[in-house]
Amino acid sequence: MRFNFLKNKFLLLIIAILVVLFLNSYREGFYQKKIKNFFYSLSLPLQENFWKAGINISDFFKTISNINNLKKENEELKLKNQELLSRVSELENLKNENESLRSALGLGLEKEFNLVMARAISKDISEDVIEINKGAKDGISKDLAVITSEKILVGKVSEVYDNFSKVMLISNKNSSFSAKISGKEVSGAVKGKGNFNFFLDLVSKEEEILPEETVISSVLGGTFPEGLLVGKIKEVKKSDIETFQQAEISPFLNINDLDKLFIIVDF
Amino acid sequence: MKNIILLLIFFYLLFIFQTSFLVHFPIRGWVFNLIFIVIILFNILEKPEKNNGILAAVILGFFWDIFSEKFIGYHILILVFLALLIKTILVRYVRIKIFQKS
Repeated sequence: MRFNFLKNKFLLLIIAILVVLFLNSYREGFYQKKIKNFFYSLSLPLQENFWKAGINISDFFKTISNINNLKKENEELKLKNQELLSRVSELENLKNENESLRSALGLGLEKEFNLVMARAISKDISEDVIEINKGAKDGISKDLAVITSEKILVGKVSEVYDNFSKVMLISNKNSSFSAKISGKEVSGAVKGKGNFNFFLDLVSKEEEILPEETVISSVLGGTFPEGLLVGKIKEVKKSDIETFQQAEISPFLNINDLDKLFIIVDF
Repeated sequence: MKNIILLLIFFYLLFIFQTSFLVHFPIRGWVFNLIFIVIILFNILEKPEKNNGILAAVILGFFWDIFSEKFIGYHILILVFLALLIKTILVRYVRIKIFQKS
């Protein structure tokens, strides 16, 4: 009895290994892409509904749990709003000045991004990777940057199927890109830690980083355009032994904001 | 055969639920993984001589591979190994009557 049981299990294991080898060796994963694309097409309506329901229900519970903080938060936001309004008027003046200078110098307006809109439909269980409903047929290719409508950097396209794509979030452990502190010439690299967390690394020890400063993408790495929002500095870590300083980042990226996304096709 | 089709449909829906719905409810950054729980329960509760737990591991591993970046087969092997490990421990080291009855 025990012999048969073991024999059956090993038979199943051998079949599984053979299937794996076959699917991976034949035409460089051609069948894998076809199979995955078939299942994504089949699941799309259900996934879209589950994703929306997930956002709505989690928002509802968050509102209930945060009800005590709402008043305090509202007052803080009012103050911040006034501060921002005064900055907007300052910037408006600068913008007018800039435009008149540009026209005087004969320079063209800043090139805008060429965008494709997509929707997130699912997230990988074990990694910071999401799936979006646009693929090769919509002009998507590997390594394109993905942002939200608020210009928050989400990640880059890591795998492309006919109708779907996988997006590696900036919090993925394999993600690393160059970034800088907004309004300063301090640059470093943002590295993913998984579970929607990342940190700023490779910042020279001579540079000063302060909490609450905004981290934005830098064009140095060539993957992302300049000025996309990444997060705010939470805690700075300096050590005499280390060559560089590091900083924990409080991310702008939130799973519940990943509904409508934009892929930067050209910048 | 009917059982296999029912298992396929149930696990398929379970995966869509896990990847599109449950991901919105992280607890301290971690999302509840239904897949491991189902595999562990399936293999613990069934009679050690039966192979439904391994079949469940193959199906769930397949769907996990479909909805992840890894190649098809990666999670199948991990889950089948996990199922075999549970069964081996139950057959060799556990002597509780509840596991020996169907």
